[in-house]
Amino acid sequence: MNKVIISLNDVKRYYLVGEYVVKALDGVTVDINEGDFLAIMGPSGSGKSTMMNLIGCLDTPTSGIIEINGDKTSGMKEKQLAHLRSKNIGFVFQQFNLLGKISALENVMTPLLYARVSPSERKERAIEALERVGLADRMKHKPTELSGGQKQRVAIARSLVNNPSIILADEPTGALDSKTGFQIMELFEQLNLEGRTIVVVTHDKEIGNSCHRQIRIRDGKVEG
Amino acid sequence: MFFENIKLAFSAMVHNKMRTLLSLLGIVIGVGAVVAILNLGESAKESINDSISSGGLELVTLYPTPQDEQNQIFDLDLALELKKNISGIDSIMPVVSSYTNVRKEKITSSTNLSGVESNYAANLDYEVVSGSFFSSEENILRNQVVVLGSSVADELFPYGNAIGNYISIFRNQAKSYKVVGVMEEKDPALNISFNNNIYIPFNTFSQKFSKVNKIGSYVIKVKADSDALDVEEKLKTYLNSRVTEDDYQIFSPATLAEMANQITGTFSAFLAAIAAISLLVGGIGIMNIMLVSVTERTKEIGIRKALGASPRVIMGQFITEALALTLFGGLIGIILGTLISYGVINFVSWKLYISTSSYILAVGFSTLIGVFFGWYPAYKASRLDPIDALNYE
Repeated sequence: MNKVIISLNDVKRYYLVGEYVVKALDGVTVDINEGDFLAIMGPSGSGKSTMMNLIGCLDTPTSGIIEINGDKTSGMKEKQLAHLRSKNIGFVFQQFNLLGKISALENVMTPLLYARVSPSERKERAIEALERVGLADRMKHKPTELSGGQKQRVAIARSLVNNPSIILADEPTGALDSKTGFQIMELFEQLNLEGRTIVVVTHDKEIGNSCHRQIRIRDGKVEG
Repeated sequence: MFFENIKLAFSAMVHNKMRTLLSLLGIVIGVGAVVAILNLGESAKESINDSISSGGLELVTLYPTPQDEQNQIFDLDLALELKKNISGIDSIMPVVSSYTNVRKEKITSSTNLSGVESNYAANLDYEVVSGSFFSSEENILRNQVVVLGSSVADELFPYGNAIGNYISIFRNQAKSYKVVGVMEEKDPALNISFNNNIYIPFNTFSQKFSKVNKIGSYVIKVKADSDALDVEEKLKTYLNSRVTEDDYQIFSPATLAEMANQITGTFSAFLAAIAAISLLVGGIGIMNIMLVSVTERTKEIGIRKALGASPRVIMGQFITEALALTLFGGLIGIILGTLISYGVINFVSWKLYISTSSYILAVGFSTLIGVFFGWYPAYKASRLDPIDALNYE
């Protein structure tokens, strides 16, 4: 049995909106193993984004326990969460979220900056990551000079570069045409074959089905 | 991390050139004004000092009050006595003088006649342009020789052939004196005039012109490594043990210079303080623009946080940006202030003295303002919720 690298145990996340308590997640228990290629699926408002934020250490649960590689996130300060993100999580977003004023290479180098890697090693590893996603010839380009698929590849290179325990992709194909989307999913497939744990958050059934395992969320709870 | 922050700061500044420039205006004007005012203050001070010290900051003049018997201590021996008892005195030049008429053939002129010792001119850096100053032998021998100040020489000898000629000096009766030297033209010092003077040996003067052995003034030259104000104090203490304060007056350019320094110093400090208020206003401008920048870049902050930037790192990034802004503004201000100083100095034809402290002050102030007014926006940026920031459009 593979090692569990992310474990959610009866995780609840409530928000106070005006006078109402919104139960975005209402008691979710999930284990994600090393080497998983998992889709978290559900319609909008189901709580899948909340779940992604919790797994991505951008947020902490109202109650319940989340362990990322053995570290409990509950009660952590922002500084510790930032450290955890830097060490364990690589994000891929729907809208790519590249920094617009700097080159692809510099974008990929940024996570290493926050992980306090030396400048020369940063560059070396960023080039390696860009080569891995097949964009070595585009590294001097700025995001505006890249196509959507290329941007997402840069974003994936950026998520890889820190060698995180898990790559967390939020609707990674949502802003791409289906062909490009398929290519991106293929890239994830390859990365998964290399042993990386990948979690894709999506409402798209087809995308979900191209992952090896699916979790469906509805009204803050895991279905089935 | 620090270098990346500096790079980021500059790319942000370059990205919004016009906005950067406008928001820097307050700092630029503030720093420019402080630098210009302090430079001009310094230059004013130095130019006043220059005009005061052209008479010699190292000179102290002691004037016995013209009274009768009590003043008997003010004689030639006192000069030696003071020199012996008061440290820091290079030389003491007793001067006796009176107003008198001189004549060369048909030309008559009124002039100030001074009896001085042979070292007088040399001690005051007062140069002879032709002939020579009389010697100490001529003083001891009480020779009837005279050295002319430049304007007297011009008047009596319009064709320049003064040396070796004779002029008549009137006291009760005319006496003939041989001209041995003509002095350069020299701007009057605050307490000593030169050009309308003629000089004869001290001993000749005492013998021929004054009945009592009284000294008109003692010009005291202070040693180069001593402080004129200090010597002045010692002089007063010494004299007060012998006579009362009313019996003499001491005049020194150094006292005046110190007074002038105090006045210009206070004045420019006051003006600089007013200018510093515009620095404060400039600082608020920086804070404003940084707040705008933080809001605009909320998404960027969210991304950076997702990529693992801790609040401290984000704070550092924005503080560095504010600092880069103010220091850049300070730099432009320094250039502007220096140019203004040059302009004004040229206009009033002083000599420019750069006040180094004003530059240190300007840079220090800019830094302080950058940190102080950049702190709050940077803090706000660092506290942004990463999820909200990421979803910000």
